[in-house]
Amino acid sequence: MLLITVRLPPDATLAQAMRRLKLPEEDVDTDYGLVLIDPDQGLYGLRVSEAAARRVAPKAGGGPYSDPRIEPYGPPG
Amino acid sequence: MRVLLQLRPSPDVVAAVADPSVSTSAADVTDALPGVVVDPSFTPVVAPRPVPLAGGDPLSLNQPLMFSFADDEASVLVRGEISDDEISTRVTLLPSLRPDVVGVFADPVIQRSLTCGGTPPVGDWRDVERLLHVAELAREGLDGAGVALAVLDSGINAAHVARRLGRDVALDAQRSWKPSGARGEAGEFPVDHGTMCAFDALIASPRASLIDVPVLLSRRPGGSALDGLLSDAVAAFAHLRTVLEAQPTASRSLVVTNSWGSFSPGWDFPPGHPGNYSDNPAHPFNLIVSSLEQAGADVLFAAGNCGRDCPDGRCAYTSRPITGANSHPRVLSVGGVDIRGERVGYSSQGPGRLAARKPDLCAFTHFSGSRAFGDDEADSGTSAACPVAAGLVAAIRTVWPSSRLSPSQLRTLLRRTADDHGDSGFDHDYGYGVVDTLGILASLRRRARRSVSACS
Repeated sequence: MLLITVRLPPDATLAQAMRRLKLPEEDVDTDYGLVLIDPDQGLYGLRVSEAAARRVAPKAGGGPYSDPRIEPYGPPG
Repeated sequence: MRVLLQLRPSPDVVAAVADPSVSTSAADVTDALPGVVVDPSFTPVVAPRPVPLAGGDPLSLNQPLMFSFADDEASVLVRGEISDDEISTRVTLLPSLRPDVVGVFADPVIQRSLTCGGTPPVGDWRDVERLLHVAELAREGLDGAGVALAVLDSGINAAHVARRLGRDVALDAQRSWKPSGARGEAGEFPVDHGTMCAFDALIASPRASLIDVPVLLSRRPGGSALDGLLSDAVAAFAHLRTVLEAQPTASRSLVVTNSWGSFSPGWDFPPGHPGNYSDNPAHPFNLIVSSLEQAGADVLFAAGNCGRDCPDGRCAYTSRPITGANSHPRVLSVGGVDIRGERVGYSSQGPGRLAARKPDLCAFTHFSGSRAFGDDEADSGTSAACPVAAGLVAAIRTVWPSSRLSPSQLRTLLRRTADDHGDSGFDHDYGYGVVDTLGILASLRRRARRSVSACS
């Protein structure tokens, strides 16, 4: 799964984003949902399969972006 | 060059040096030695003579030995200095010119070894409390009351934190949040890394309200037991934005402490790729960090444990290990020092990847505190330093909400008042220095006076 971003009107929903990007449900992490990244820019993020990310990112306007693993910084070993 | 001179004076002088009731100086042991400035402040020391056992090799030290302090066998050490450009000549000639000189040895500078992972705790959290001048903070009403302090980590065990601190802990379950799939309730997670962070944050801001955000408990595909995915942190920050915006504008205060990062470039697109995270301010997480900070949150990130002296074994970046949001220009990147003020060897050094001047500053780590990892284990890593600094920020926010002092102004204040260590001014080991509460308080008092005079 990768991250993509899309610009949508205020209070947009995941369903709206999926319709706009023509994304089937199996390509989207629906548990993750649609996340508002920057309200001033109307920028939202969602997690999609790698294949879908490469397909729709150009028309979505952002991505695909990496979704790297994160780990605690300690105790140092 | 500093040297140790081994001398063999008369037996009565050796006896005097060896006698603790007799005060001796270098001048009692030797008169002027050509080309050597003898250090009068160094008290002479008796050195024993190694003696082989019967039948042993008189020239070998690699055999069973006895050590004789007999007056006619022992020698005396004094300290001196020889000019660097004469060192080889003097070392060769001195024993022939002065039969009482039996050896000239280097006297190198010795330093305390750096605190590294696995070394015992250095001091305890009461020392940190003292160094942060928590009593002075409290006297000025800066105790974190009413300030939201979000701990993005592996979840908090509030009962453990309260037990270890010996006082009640305010946990804001309503504003806490967890990624979908993470099991457990706010404040009731198993004692682990997040509990340590919460404990350390409350040292300086005992009355702050903890917001529990266990982003490292992701159960998404690609995650494991104690890690998460950056997308969980994106969602967490989006939640925190709603928390912040629900607060009245005039009294907004939200401090966000992050003791985590991404250890390996193998999990990321390479730098230069438009989807890269480590070096790319346009990555969605780096954007949402900017957005939250702009809305009034103080965001702190641990600098990481990839210091050159003793890096964590997981560190996979070959250079510039302060990456992504840990090096973001709108966050405070926090390195670690022990309670002696010395940089811990694992604290990552700059320059950062998004902003070069990283870390910003250092705070205390590697002390006995939460005991989240066992009774004898330190609260360690820049993981501990970051919440220690976040607690100090939360304390300041008690009286200074972001409407009075923006996150950017607060970062500047912390950098400007930091106790400079290392090279003069900013350096990539300590940043601008170690957090200095008294400097901060003095600066805030001046600012408050200016505000009053401006109003009147």
